[in-house]
Amino acid sequence: MIETSSPVDRPRSRPGKRREPGGLLGIALVVPAIVLVVVFKLIPLVRAFILSLYETQGFADPTFAWFRNYQGMLKDPTFWGSFRNAALVFLTLPVWIMLPLLLALLIFQRVPGWKLFRAAYFLPYMIAPVVVGIMFRQILAPDGPLNAMLIGIGLAPFATEWLNGSSSALFSLTAVALWAFFGLGVLTYLSGLSTVSDEVIEAARLDGAGFWTLLVYIIAPLLKSVIGYWTVLCTSSMLIWMFPLIYALTRGGPGKATMLPEYLVFLTTFEFLDRGRGAAIGMALFVFAAAISAFVVRRMYAEGKGRT
Amino acid sequence: MKASTKAMWRSAAGAAALLAMALPAMAQDVTTIRVLNWQPGGPDYWAKLVSAFEAANPDVKVELETVPFDRYPSVQGPYITTKSGPDVMENNAGLELFDRRVAYVELPADVKAAGDQLITYAGGCLNYDTAHACYGLPFGYQGNVMYYNKAVLKQAGLDPENPPKTWDEMVAACKAIIAIGKTCLAHGMTGVFPAYWNFPEVAKNYLTADDIKAVMTGDLPWTDPKLVKTLEAMASIGTTRGWINSSSPSISMLPDGADIFQSGNAGFASTIIADAVNWSAFDAALGDANVGAMHWPVLVADAPQATGFSGVESSVFGVSAWSTKQEAAFMFFKFTAATENANLLASIGGGISLNKNVDPTVMPKSQALNQILEIIKTPIVHVGVLLSGQEADALGRGWQEVTLGQMTVADWTAQMQQALEASPSKRK
Repeated sequence: MIETSSPVDRPRSRPGKRREPGGLLGIALVVPAIVLVVVFKLIPLVRAFILSLYETQGFADPTFAWFRNYQGMLKDPTFWGSFRNAALVFLTLPVWIMLPLLLALLIFQRVPGWKLFRAAYFLPYMIAPVVVGIMFRQILAPDGPLNAMLIGIGLAPFATEWLNGSSSALFSLTAVALWAFFGLGVLTYLSGLSTVSDEVIEAARLDGAGFWTLLVYIIAPLLKSVIGYWTVLCTSSMLIWMFPLIYALTRGGPGKATMLPEYLVFLTTFEFLDRGRGAAIGMALFVFAAAISAFVVRRMYAEGKGRT
Repeated sequence: MKASTKAMWRSAAGAAALLAMALPAMAQDVTTIRVLNWQPGGPDYWAKLVSAFEAANPDVKVELETVPFDRYPSVQGPYITTKSGPDVMENNAGLELFDRRVAYVELPADVKAAGDQLITYAGGCLNYDTAHACYGLPFGYQGNVMYYNKAVLKQAGLDPENPPKTWDEMVAACKAIIAIGKTCLAHGMTGVFPAYWNFPEVAKNYLTADDIKAVMTGDLPWTDPKLVKTLEAMASIGTTRGWINSSSPSISMLPDGADIFQSGNAGFASTIIADAVNWSAFDAALGDANVGAMHWPVLVADAPQATGFSGVESSVFGVSAWSTKQEAAFMFFKFTAATENANLLASIGGGISLNKNVDPTVMPKSQALNQILEIIKTPIVHVGVLLSGQEADALGRGWQEVTLGQMTVADWTAQMQQALEASPSKRK
């Protein structure tokens, strides 16, 4: 008698392992995203690195120059100044994280006018950054409405030349960027808050928790993943998404007070026509942004693992 | 009835078929060229220019791609990099064009010959030498002058027909103008312009013709005493002398120098002879009788170039290297160099034509324009256009910081020298 085995009895190829149902479907769903990342992120990154190894003059054919662009870049005070400015902007990260959370919690608790606030806070995010820059160039002008208001309410000493001072210009740029961006944070946190159980909040209140206790000891731990996500988003925005604002508001000035690395890449590549050097600065920005983002993500992941 | 209706439809179908066959043939007879530009002289002038060209050349149609001046490099750059795009492109004469010469076709002899109608076309040629390769033909003239408001001068107790000719006289004039609550020298627009327009007018007091050539090749270091004195004098305009409007080094530039002068709140304005902020705009705002144009006052009395006019061809049009319609494109800018366009530029565009045969009767009636036409008869090379992108940027930013009291002239000089050393076009 010839024994045959049915598919049910057929021994598995590797003990303990079984093919995941829908595995092919999963791959098929992920592949387009991978293709997009490879085509629009990885390949341009590699090409930028290759370009950074070439010396360029105008639009003439480039010549291979090994790491000479990097050597020149590292000797350039403007390069270091732009990264110093980026580091200063990064130091305001706590405000970018906490301010939208605070406002979201107030809206979540249905303070009077909460519907209006919810819409109003998101409005700046809907305005194109270039338009925001042009608007605030008028608002922050020495004779502009902000100074007029400050003088009108008796705060004349604060009516400064916002965009002319070496410190006040960078502060103003960062504040305008925060104004344009924080509405998205409010919306993001509101989405997270909608997953928090009412019973938890009710219980905390019954135990005598006030607003700040609720925020710090109840809400923040429950929204750790959302906070982590928002933190990563803010980090990348500060480091690589400020260009439209800089272009419209300050052009990196006065002098180089608001020169950030991404604007320096633009200036070097398109106005100085030094594409190799511009690519080198771009690579430096990539390393800087990647290092900081990796640090932020690792912190978020460590918290998510529940380590104490 | 039915038969005649059928016949009518048959005839209509036949006519449509004939037309469909003819249309491609007709279209093939008309070549459309795309021209990238920032519309110097304004949209009205350009509408007339295109209309006049198409009337003279019915087989060529012009499609304009107009981009604001400050965005122009970022729009043109990708076209050059990808070697595709418009058939004709505009650039400023000089280094800006030379840096982009790979994007242009060298002018053939017959097209170059059209340049003989012009006062000069050296700005379209390598190293400003028409014996070298030429990549475009300019048609307008540009350069720096100082405008003055006769009404303000009179109000300040000065002679409006005898504006200052030396810096010492300017000091006295500014004192009088500031005393009546006006700005002495309305100055600047956003970005690099304040320094870019002032630099040649101050530098010509210290630099010889050979020095200017050395600036072009990068052989005159910024630490040279002549250039240091130039930067010191430029800085003094806004610092120790207090001649300029407080908004001048400001990022927001509201109001800018042109606004201040046009509103009658300044005695002088340091701008240019054509395109934006020129005699035409000032005449319209202040009245022709109130506007005058003069050389910048002389700082060094016996300087050989001090009374020269820092002139440069304004914009140069060239044919793109990738264009498949080069013949039609060359027809277009031969037309721009010709007399008909010269007359349009003078009468509508408010520009100063390089063409030698401009009809004087079409020139607008303007005292300031008449003065400009005299001033431009003694041209010198505009040293500002010989700066690399890095140098021009460092000049503008450094001037801002020095005028705001945030940096010394010594540091500015050091930054200028670093910018020169970092300039690919001036690397040794």
